[in-house]
Amino acid sequence: MILEKFAMPRSLCLAVILLMAASVAEAHHSFAMYDHTRTLTLKGTVTKFQWTNPHAYLELDVRDAKGVVKHYTLEGTSINMMQRIGWRSNMIKFGDSVKAVMAPATSGEPVGLLLEVTLPNGETKQLGVPAGDSFKRTPEQEQKP
Amino acid sequence: MTSARAIRNAAGIFVVTTFLLGLQGLQGSASAQAPQSVAGIPDITGSWERARDPSIPAASQPPLKPQYLKEQQAKNQAAREASAKGTPLADRATMCLPEGMPAMMGATFPIEILQSKGQITIIEEAFTQVRRILLDQPQKAVADVEPGFYGHSVGHWEGSTLVAETVGVRENVVYQNAPHSADMRIKERISLGANGILRDEITIEDPATLEKPWTFTFGYRRIPNYSLLEYICEDNREYAGENGQQKIRIDAPPNPGK
Repeated sequence: MILEKFAMPRSLCLAVILLMAASVAEAHHSFAMYDHTRTLTLKGTVTKFQWTNPHAYLELDVRDAKGVVKHYTLEGTSINMMQRIGWRSNMIKFGDSVKAVMAPATSGEPVGLLLEVTLPNGETKQLGVPAGDSFKRTPEQEQKP
Repeated sequence: MTSARAIRNAAGIFVVTTFLLGLQGLQGSASAQAPQSVAGIPDITGSWERARDPSIPAASQPPLKPQYLKEQQAKNQAAREASAKGTPLADRATMCLPEGMPAMMGATFPIEILQSKGQITIIEEAFTQVRRILLDQPQKAVADVEPGFYGHSVGHWEGSTLVAETVGVRENVVYQNAPHSADMRIKERISLGANGILRDEITIEDPATLEKPWTFTFGYRRIPNYSLLEYICEDNREYAGENGQQKIRIDAPPNPGK
């Protein structure tokens, strides 16, 4: 079976197909309330990982250098979208330390659009935000809260 | 032939016969479940996703009458301007309302088509939307259909093309913000191309709001080995705030300050 050596694994095939699909599909919900020009990287403790539709939510407590804790609500995408790119509900638990890259809400509220999470095991996962490239990433050292 | 050998032969014939009968039984039940095996009717059962393909025409604008065109353009412009300011307007999706017809055929998430006796069922994964196309039945009068998100759909096969018609879609269930009357008819021609692309050519007929019928086409490709996932709106935190803006409910943290 020489062909097998060169054949793409089925899971990869499906991933490629679904990525292609993502380029066709439009979003149900608008993400226009988030700043497209900058991102913030938060390192914090998970107080809740809400695994629901229409969107998942990650609640994060972030402690600053002075020890003051600020709470952030981070909006994810549909859990269906997330499952299709490999997410599972048990990947984040209460008390986990995670790193989250988010586009802050233009309203100034402690809310953001979750773009990427680095899990406790070091694995970094994207959220599959439609047109996610339209959110300009700010290098961590240049970020202003 | 010894009696032992005769028994062995008889047993062999029995096994082979049972096997063949079994196969026949399987084939029999398969054809009973699959009316699509009728000559010319394609097998479109399975999971599909929206696909761009050269065979699919580009999206088209609704040929609305001037007063309705003005209404549609004003709504679309207000939505664009609000989004550009970072304060998008809440819409029916914000409320977790399903899209209804014909928007659900836009398949933002995958769709599943099921062919069964007398009915084609189409399921859209997002919002678990379901529509039923009743085969070879007369269409109802609009007045006899309770207005709904999906309306009342009937269809029949014209050769290898599924021809369907839908009436009874609620006036507040709209596609591309195009207003329509209660008398709108949605006509569909669903066919499978030799390239494996399934196409749904949709024509909206609504003389009250349209200058002429509005035709657009969605294309789909098969997703092998994909079963639709469940989709329930649960604890939706998006809502319409002041001035109709889309807002998100911020929960008090479970352990404030810890």
